[in-house]
Amino acid sequence: MTAWQSFAGDLLEQWPLLATGLRQTLMLTITVSLTGFLGGVLVFYLGLSPRRWLRGLINGYISFLIGMPLIVLLFLMYYGLPQWGIRLTPFAVAVLGFTLNVAAYNAAYLRTAYNGLDAAELEAASAQGFGHGQRFRLIILPQVLRLSVPALTNQVILNLKDSTLAFLIQYTEFFARVQELASTNFQFFKAYLLAAVVYLALVSVVVVAARALERRLILPGSLH
Amino acid sequence: MNASPLIEIRQLVTRFGEHTVLNGVDLDLYAGEIKVVMGPSGCGKSTLLRCLNRLVEPSSGLIRFRGQDITAPGTDVRALRQSIGFVFQQFALYRHLTVLDNVSLGLRKLRGLRRAEAEQKALQELDRLEMAGHRDKYPAQLSGGQKQRVAIARALAMDPAVVVFDEPTSALDPVMSREVAALINRLHDEGVTMLCVTHDLVLAQNIADEVIFLDQGRVLAQDSIARLAKDHADPRVRAFFGRDGDKA
Repeated sequence: MTAWQSFAGDLLEQWPLLATGLRQTLMLTITVSLTGFLGGVLVFYLGLSPRRWLRGLINGYISFLIGMPLIVLLFLMYYGLPQWGIRLTPFAVAVLGFTLNVAAYNAAYLRTAYNGLDAAELEAASAQGFGHGQRFRLIILPQVLRLSVPALTNQVILNLKDSTLAFLIQYTEFFARVQELASTNFQFFKAYLLAAVVYLALVSVVVVAARALERRLILPGSLH
Repeated sequence: MNASPLIEIRQLVTRFGEHTVLNGVDLDLYAGEIKVVMGPSGCGKSTLLRCLNRLVEPSSGLIRFRGQDITAPGTDVRALRQSIGFVFQQFALYRHLTVLDNVSLGLRKLRGLRRAEAEQKALQELDRLEMAGHRDKYPAQLSGGQKQRVAIARALAMDPAVVVFDEPTSALDPVMSREVAALINRLHDEGVTMLCVTHDLVLAQNIADEVIFLDQGRVLAQDSIARLAKDHADPRVRAFFGRDGDKA
């Protein structure tokens, strides 16, 4: 029996576990991409507040979370919080940690796009009599989201790849299952190559979807 | 003409930090009237317009709009802004919205009209400015003159008490500028009250008999352009309006 055949045999045998892992990976990625997106919009909105203290707080939040490695945040919550009597499941910690982190990144992307908007349009909206919230909802957000499609969808790819970190807090996602597979037959190269191919395939799906979204949202006559 | 002006500005002062932009401006605008404010760059023209709808907060002085002091605390600024149509220098159309949506957005979201009603009213205004055929285009697909017309339609759609223009021709070529002058004259004939800030002499001459000359935050003169160019005592005024400057 060749090495490939034995690997294929183990793969078939462990396939149900790998599939569960894949489901966990997708569940985490999709969940944090949604919560991170909504969180990002919220953080971005609060960062535009007329209240100076709130803007300061939001800037601090963004700097702090972008400055801190995600793994530290995850460990802090998974291993640190139980010392204060707060015990969360690996999935809950992963969702919470990723959401805090991804929301900060998404808010920063949205802020960058906002800085590129035409100040005259925003002034025109105020001059028309739109309030702060209406200006955000009707003028700022639709433009900023459009401009941020590449950055926001890129973040979904990062979320997918970073989901591998979650196995370090006992969340048995796809990569954790691949490790188990590798350790049963010591075919490390083949196992991790399999992981690479699977992640690449998933990323490709996101890329294709992102391109389609961009094409749908493009404004006639504009470069964006 | 009514006995009391629609807009009454008295001793208006606006400071940005140490810098005094408006230094005691007086101005009256009556309903149905068109007034042109001219002056060199940085004389405070745009700031004056922005004080009217409180995009800029005046430091002192009085602005009465329909007899109400709008600098008073408790003024409903958003209601005030809805009754002043503002046409911006670069037109400032919402680039993510079609022409029709640009004009109908305010009607729907500020006036609470249903979409069908708002669009009908918006189309009327677009038609008035010969832009109804472009209803489904986006701003990026329009020429400068067309954007200008949409911006005017957007202002008029809200039935404002006054329309203010901030340098309406500065982004347009001379042919377009003449068209804008003709358009403003037509609106004037239709009874629209307008206040126009510009340093385009040709435009000013075409739309108003008299102009207000603003310099260093004060009204320095108010007269016809011909008289300001020839007879005014201040050489700066003569230099601004004279075709070949002050040679004295």
